[in-house]
Amino acid sequence: MFDAFIEGLILVLQWKAFSLMLVGMALGFCVGLLPGIGGAATLALMIPFIFKMSPAEAFAFLLGMHSVAATTGDITSVLFGVPGEAISAATVVDGYPMAKKGEAGRALGAALMSSLLGALIGAVALALAVPIVRPLVLTFGSPELFMLSLIGISCITSLSGTTTRGQIKGFAMGLFGLLISTIGQERQSGSLRFDLGMMYLWDGLDFVPVLVGIFAIPEIIDLAVRGTSIAGDRPPENLSSGVMEGVKDTFRHFWLVFRCSIIGVFVGIMPGAGGGVAQWMAYAHAVQSATDSKERGGFGKGDIRGVLGPGAANNSKEGGELIPTVAFGVPGSGAMAILLSGFLIMGIMPGPEMLTKHLSLTFSMVWTLAIANVITVILSLAILDQLAKLTYVRGGLIIPFILLLVFVGSYTANGQIADLIVTLIFGVLSYFMVLFGWPRPPFVLGFVLGKVIETYLFISMTRYGFSWLTHPIVLALMILMVVVIAYPYIQQRRQRAREPAHA
Amino acid sequence: MRKGNFFFCIFLIAIAAYATFAATGWSFKTKLFPLAVSIPLLTLLVIQLLLMIGGKEQTGESAVMDIDFSIEVPPEVARRRVFGIFGWIVGFIVLVYLLGFPLTVPLFIFLYLKLQSNIGWLTTVAITVVTWGCFYLLFQSLVHIQFEAGAIQSWLGM
Repeated sequence: MFDAFIEGLILVLQWKAFSLMLVGMALGFCVGLLPGIGGAATLALMIPFIFKMSPAEAFAFLLGMHSVAATTGDITSVLFGVPGEAISAATVVDGYPMAKKGEAGRALGAALMSSLLGALIGAVALALAVPIVRPLVLTFGSPELFMLSLIGISCITSLSGTTTRGQIKGFAMGLFGLLISTIGQERQSGSLRFDLGMMYLWDGLDFVPVLVGIFAIPEIIDLAVRGTSIAGDRPPENLSSGVMEGVKDTFRHFWLVFRCSIIGVFVGIMPGAGGGVAQWMAYAHAVQSATDSKERGGFGKGDIRGVLGPGAANNSKEGGELIPTVAFGVPGSGAMAILLSGFLIMGIMPGPEMLTKHLSLTFSMVWTLAIANVITVILSLAILDQLAKLTYVRGGLIIPFILLLVFVGSYTANGQIADLIVTLIFGVLSYFMVLFGWPRPPFVLGFVLGKVIETYLFISMTRYGFSWLTHPIVLALMILMVVVIAYPYIQQRRQRAREPAHA
Repeated sequence: MRKGNFFFCIFLIAIAAYATFAATGWSFKTKLFPLAVSIPLLTLLVIQLLLMIGGKEQTGESAVMDIDFSIEVPPEVARRRVFGIFGWIVGFIVLVYLLGFPLTVPLFIFLYLKLQSNIGWLTTVAITVVTWGCFYLLFQSLVHIQFEAGAIQSWLGM
């Protein structure tokens, strides 16, 4: 085992594999920064280039690119409020308000360092978990995965308001997101739903135009209204010390970063959930770490923990996703499905052989995840203070470029003008949501999870009727969901009980 | 503000009601999930609306886990700027439809910098050229995104 571990490292450090990993990382860096061009799409574009590579070179190239895209996606989210990747949308919620407060460097430092720790924890999880994860994956069928997805939404919606009434809006937005996800062809029967007679809607709404519209447009409007730079008229922070402050924050909240990384690994292991869910579950957990409702109210306004949680989970989930992909040939996400095709091109069959015959190759993936992220974060930290200066460029100069990024990004979804209109519609919707205090995160999570939840519900009903509701794990998860929903109320009550005692 | 929130809630209720009404006519498999979502959504929204009518909705309470819009700018100026930026966004989309992305990008950047941001001629031209160059290199040469031709080019048979 130890020999294979070292052999894996040697495979990655061979000059050709290492050079290809650097090329992949450079591509991933750019892809991560540009909104809309997803890591999965780029993986697909790069698949034809691996035919002449050895397996170790091919995976160093592909994984180097994929793991870095998740890290640098946070940079665009923090600086401009535009999610660089769909999986870095949660970073916008607190990262961009920090940039507006003149703390872009700190937010970026925290995002990158938590990403690095997350990636390392994910890589360790991959190394350790492959032999023991099989029973866990096999225990979780569609009913359990359905409940798990509901817990994901409950986490975020139950934390959407400081009062009971505020939470009604949170739950309503979560359901609204789920409803929007039902637009298009129903997967099981092929029937069309809410297509309004438009062929564009047959495939449903793509994530990118919706997410970019939801998050970027209100930020652009706010920037235009203020008429200042992103950071406003505040005196420039000492940017490099801000970056170091963010790095220190990561270690100040180390256990939060660790727990969010574990959430990322766990969600990554579960097929179908993916990074879109991991980041929000981690964000919800970060919000839960607030000791009282007043502190919770600071989330969304620039709380560093709101950057650390999603940053860590985004990258740790890469290791988690690789576990079922490598061990059983069950891809946990679209990107992993593309990677799986890479395995087949290389003539490698994922499964038990990856733990015996190809163990050193499996460990080379672990090393690639770790090394690629370490190099990226070190390089990024060196240029972060320069990047953070962008938040001090006057708004009038920067708005047309952000608009360009937003619309080119959303256009890449389907290559149609309709993508731009969808972005505009959801941008307007999002503007009113922010204006009237209807939270956007539950909507986004509902939208991202909708199709997955419906599929799990359908399979559960077809396979078990209503009897799946009595499965022991389902019951345990139901209790957990009730606890998750009740937690803010319990916390509020405890606080109220404590207050008179202190008075 | 309260009035706007009230109408926004009505708008959401209309969507939920439409979804519920439209789904009832579908087969069981097709309507199961939309109805499982739209009925509780409608219920929650009606409760929210009743709270607003009863004056129990807490005004001024922003959503947790979300941004707040800046309030330093006077409302009149803010409203004018909101309409202004929406105008630019809609204009961008109309330009893309008429001219296609490759022509819209330099034109939009130039017009925005010159008309909206009042930047000097030399800087505006320089930024426009650099942006167009980056756009061409990155999205057209490197990533090979196929941008649709604009409607005007299609009408002219170009």
